[in-house]
Amino acid sequence: MKKKALRKEFYMEIRRSLGRFLSIFFIVAIGVAFFSGIRASEPDMRLSGDKYFDEKNLMDIQVISTLGLSERDVKALEAVEGIEKVEAGYSIDALCMKEDSQAAVHVMSVLPSLNMVTAEEGRLPKSWDECAVDADFLAESGYKIGEKIHLTSGKEDSITDTLKTDTFTIVGTVSSPCYISFGRGSTNIGTGSVSGFISVPEESFKLDVYTEIYAAVDGAKDFTAFTDEYEECVSAVLKNVEAIKEERQKMRRQEIVDEAESELDEAREKLEDAKKEAEEELGDAKKELDDGWQQLNDGKAKISASWTELENSRAALISGQEELNVNRRTVEDSQAELNSKQAELNAQLKELNTQQELLDAEKIPLEEQQAQVDNLRELLNQKQTELDQAKVSIVQLQSDNEGLNTEITEITASGEGLQAELTAMQNELNGLDPSLPEQAERIEELNTLIADNINKISDVQIKLEEVYTQFATNQAIIDMMQQEVEKGQAELTAGQQQIDEGQAELDKYWAKVNDAQQILSDGRAELTAGQQQIDEGQAQLDAAWVQLESAQAEINSGWVQLTDGQNQLASAEAEIVENEKKLADGQKEYDEGRLEADAKIADAEAEIKDAEDEISKIENAKWYIYDRDNLNDYTGYGENADRMRAIGEVFPVLFFLVAALISLTTMTRMVEEQRTQIGTMKALGYNRFSIAGKYIGYAFLATVAGCILGILFGEKVFPYIIIYAYGIMYQHMDTYVIPYNIQYALLAALAAMACTLLATVFSCYKELREQAAELMRPPTPKQGKRVLLERVPFIWGRLSFTWKSTIRNLVRYKKRFFMTIFGIGGCMALLLVGFGLKDSIFDIGLLQYHELQLYDGNIILNEDAEKEEQEQAIRVLEQDSRVEATAVNFLKQVKVGANKTWKDVYLNVAEDTEEFSEFIVFRNRRTKEIYTLDDEGVILTEKMAKELDVEPGDTIYIKDDVKGEIPYTVSAVCENYMQHFLYMTSDGYKRGYGNEPKYNSVYYSVKDGEEDTIKSVGEDVIKEEGALSVSYASGIEAQLDDMLGSLNIVIVVLVISAGMLAFVVLYNLNNINITERKRELATLKVLGFYPLEVAEYVYRENIILTILGGFFGIVCGKLLHRFIIVTVEIESAMFGRNIDFRSFIYGFLITFGFSILVNGVMYFKLKKIDMVESLKSVE
Amino acid sequence: MSGFVCLKDITKVYKMGEVEIHAVDGINFEIEKGELVVIVGPSGAGKTTVLNLLGGMDTATSGKLFVDGADITRYNERQLTSYRRDDIGFVFQFYNLIPNLTAKENVELALQICKDPLDAQTVLEDVGLGHRLDNFPAQLSGGEQQRVSIARALAKNPKLLLCDEPTGALDYNTGKAILQLLQDMCREKGMTVIVITHNSALAPMADRLIKIKNGKVSSMVKNESPMSIADIEW
Repeated sequence: MKKKALRKEFYMEIRRSLGRFLSIFFIVAIGVAFFSGIRASEPDMRLSGDKYFDEKNLMDIQVISTLGLSERDVKALEAVEGIEKVEAGYSIDALCMKEDSQAAVHVMSVLPSLNMVTAEEGRLPKSWDECAVDADFLAESGYKIGEKIHLTSGKEDSITDTLKTDTFTIVGTVSSPCYISFGRGSTNIGTGSVSGFISVPEESFKLDVYTEIYAAVDGAKDFTAFTDEYEECVSAVLKNVEAIKEERQKMRRQEIVDEAESELDEAREKLEDAKKEAEEELGDAKKELDDGWQQLNDGKAKISASWTELENSRAALISGQEELNVNRRTVEDSQAELNSKQAELNAQLKELNTQQELLDAEKIPLEEQQAQVDNLRELLNQKQTELDQAKVSIVQLQSDNEGLNTEITEITASGEGLQAELTAMQNELNGLDPSLPEQAERIEELNTLIADNINKISDVQIKLEEVYTQFATNQAIIDMMQQEVEKGQAELTAGQQQIDEGQAELDKYWAKVNDAQQILSDGRAELTAGQQQIDEGQAQLDAAWVQLESAQAEINSGWVQLTDGQNQLASAEAEIVENEKKLADGQKEYDEGRLEADAKIADAEAEIKDAEDEISKIENAKWYIYDRDNLNDYTGYGENADRMRAIGEVFPVLFFLVAALISLTTMTRMVEEQRTQIGTMKALGYNRFSIAGKYIGYAFLATVAGCILGILFGEKVFPYIIIYAYGIMYQHMDTYVIPYNIQYALLAALAAMACTLLATVFSCYKELREQAAELMRPPTPKQGKRVLLERVPFIWGRLSFTWKSTIRNLVRYKKRFFMTIFGIGGCMALLLVGFGLKDSIFDIGLLQYHELQLYDGNIILNEDAEKEEQEQAIRVLEQDSRVEATAVNFLKQVKVGANKTWKDVYLNVAEDTEEFSEFIVFRNRRTKEIYTLDDEGVILTEKMAKELDVEPGDTIYIKDDVKGEIPYTVSAVCENYMQHFLYMTSDGYKRGYGNEPKYNSVYYSVKDGEEDTIKSVGEDVIKEEGALSVSYASGIEAQLDDMLGSLNIVIVVLVISAGMLAFVVLYNLNNINITERKRELATLKVLGFYPLEVAEYVYRENIILTILGGFFGIVCGKLLHRFIIVTVEIESAMFGRNIDFRSFIYGFLITFGFSILVNGVMYFKLKKIDMVESLKSVE
Repeated sequence: MSGFVCLKDITKVYKMGEVEIHAVDGINFEIEKGELVVIVGPSGAGKTTVLNLLGGMDTATSGKLFVDGADITRYNERQLTSYRRDDIGFVFQFYNLIPNLTAKENVELALQICKDPLDAQTVLEDVGLGHRLDNFPAQLSGGEQQRVSIARALAKNPKLLLCDEPTGALDYNTGKAILQLLQDMCREKGMTVIVITHNSALAPMADRLIKIKNGKVSSMVKNESPMSIADIEW
């Protein structure tokens, strides 16, 4: 398109006919989206699954052994070529309480890295008494995180043989890549099916050997799970593992035998030791006993000796007391004597004191006289003193005079000296001439000195006269005083004489008094000595008293000691009695011990013998080597992906076909519409390619854009929805890997492009072939054609012209006819499949529990209980007035095989065939023929019969631990949807198994059929010891509905897609129809047809087409539905093959709804047709 | 107001974006019952617009249009449809037959919605197609198709037969025959017929000739002595 005008015209064309452009764009987008999206879902599911499994390190190979697996097995496996990693673990099936009933759980150890469990809530267990519980199981069991879960083994052995504890604290909920869906496998305890798993740390187990080994295959992670590459990779390694199997099995037996032997040896040794020890111990005991007796006797002797000693002490004490008493009396006597002596002494002392008083009175006058004498003497002494003083004064005056005398002499001497001097000087003076100067001076000097000397000589003469006076007075005084002293001296001598005479007289009296005094003093001294004697006696007596007291105290303490001794002896005696008893007991014990020891030894010997026997019976270990296919859920996921592929192969193709046809008609129409333009262009001289280029470009642009949108959208959204939908079933798989799948994208895009482009080229070619002039003219109108119906005038004649026109139109526009039928039919078919799937899947609950299995509830009996208890439980149920009927039966999961396929099936044995048939209806799904159970054959459920590929008359085998494979003939195949059952009579069971079945289940129904009644009956029975659990049909039904809910989303996707498809198809076709017949419709309008009549004219065709399309869709839908049901079916269930009548109605109504909607939109389009414009000229 | 058909100041304005086109710009004329009216004028003069307005296929922008005393301009969509249905017969230049119906059925199609229709077969015989009753339009020649078209219009027994260039797509002789048919219908059945043509040579055949130019009536002449179509040559 080099031409500018052409290019512009091209863009204008798109703008002008945006509706058409968009309709191609969208129909291609939807078709491509659906095609590539649904197709990509399958690989995306595998990828998502693979990512999940890789993230969780799901094992590739699992080995289980009948004898457990030792460390050496682990080593051996590690050495196998192609094995990347080996991890061993433990597991055990246990029972726990789930609400009111018991449920079996799979307890397994957490592996270091493989089969990684993920904590959904809480955390993983860390200590040996913690566990994490299956998230799904926890949700339905009523346990909560933080609670304790109690496990029992469900067998004779205690669970604590395997686990360290039987009570675990739930610390979290977990999911495991081994259990991605609802299935948890089967077990040989409880009801036979496992309800959940419990993860515990490895150390919670106390087993010597591992129960299983998991291995990862080298490089297996690089391959996508479920693909052939992966399978090949693993199966190659699986072969290598198989290769070491034989050897390991033998080795393992040997290990066990060796271990057992050594253990046995040890046991033997131990027994010997124990025997010896027992003997020794017994001997020791004996000796000890004898010693005891000896000691006892010694003790007894000692006690009697003590008693004697005690008696002696008592006698000694008594005599001591008596002696003491005598002493006491003596002391008392002495005291009395002493006291009388004291009294005597006191009287004497009193007399003495009286005499003294008398003497003292005599002394008083004597002392008075003495005092007088003394006074006189005193006076005399005073006068003497005065006299002596006067004598001293005289002496002093005499000495003074002497001093004065001396002084006179001195003064006289000095006077004389001065006179001499004066004379000398006068001499000199005289000698000297006053005329000489020097002598003159001397004369002067001597004149002054002579004057001085004359003065001094006069002074000395005065003084001499004074001293002479003094001397004379002093001499007078001395003379007077000397006379007085001589007189006083005479008087004194007379007084002295008198005194001496008085004194002598006094001294005579004094002597007399002193003699009396002397006598008194002597008496007193005597008394004092007496007193002293008495005091000494008293002191002696006191000491004697003290001695007495201490003696008494000693005696008293002696008594106390005596009493103590007595008590001690008494207790010693009691002790001896006791010991005697003990000794007797000991003796008894000893005797018993001996007996017991003998018995035990005998037992142990027997046990050792048993063990020896057992060891000889040990068989080779048996290895079971599995790959991931052994995980039901894993395989199930793969199967689901396969189902998705099956759907992807059919559905999108249908969609795509419709989309391609739509774009084809649209493009054809476009080319036809522009006939004149093409003619003009041609006339103008454009070549074919330029002209066709516009249409091809138009289609190309719309298709490519549609493809891109469709791929971008479809390949992300559809797989997401599908995987999300399956997520309901695989709740814990949260990985979404949705890459763009180039392969499907290209496939879809190329197909879409091929369809539209080829269609465009084809239409262009047809037009371009014609001459320009021809093209300018209106196309020769298509000839009206008579239809077959016209040959039936009976009907044709009665038809109105509009009807005639309609019918002829339908035949005339064959392309439109088929397109519409196809579009509507496709829509109807999709809807039908959608609703049909819902019916088939959701009806199975209804069919199963309301038409085939008619029981309301099922009591599972406790197999551990006594037979009487079980019977009691049955009786309670049967006697309940609300219960309508019961049927005792045996229910157990078994493996059934035929044609080399083995499957799990519930074996259900009727105790009473008649009762049983009231609950279980055996009928043919197609013919509804009712079968009866007989002793000759078994009845197998339909799905299982198909899986095993058996028909009535064929033989199937039941695997049994004891009997091996038991053959049974299938007498009939019956309709059944949920799970798989194999029904037989009790006689039939006996024939095969050789014993009576242990009935463990009772079906019952209630009269009123009310949910509450069913439950309360169940609860009443479950209280009995004999009943283990109860399940309700409604509960299973609800569970089933939940499970299948995931398909609901797929259905919604289908319905919405179908709706969109229908809308686009109808809109497009109608649009073409109207534009094509604009002229015709305008004519009708001009003729005076009311809008509704005009619309009717068009609608009539549409309605007929819709109805025809609907019927076509029913046929297609039914086939498609059948195909899809068979492909999406899960293994444990058979989906219904039926579509409800209701669904047909719904499908029809919705299809019609779309039709009406589109026609409604068209109505306005019709109304808008402008008569004037349309009829003006020929386009 | 006395006429059977009466137009008063009829205008029709088309808006083409911002440009107003006065297709009809104040037309006045009256037509008596039973007249054969020829409206002539050059291309684009507004003839067809007038006819469309008369036929109730279009509504006037302003002015009044009375047909048999009824004010058509006041009609709503539905009344207009009824008007077309009961009172009007239309003959198109390009016949506009339903291709899927036979000649007879095409006529009957129109009749089944009519109040007082004529017999289809009779009408077809009248227009000279008695022998082609069961032929599809594609099997008929142009003239024959136009005859079917006229038969379809006539069979409705309309008050007014409107013909838009009935001979435009036909050759001379056929055209003449068709015009003759129309004239005969008018004369024999007393039907009011309005024929639009750009061919002024046809004027003498009319009882009344209306010339339209630039959306206006340039002249209206009542022809007291119309010529038979057979006598007109062009």
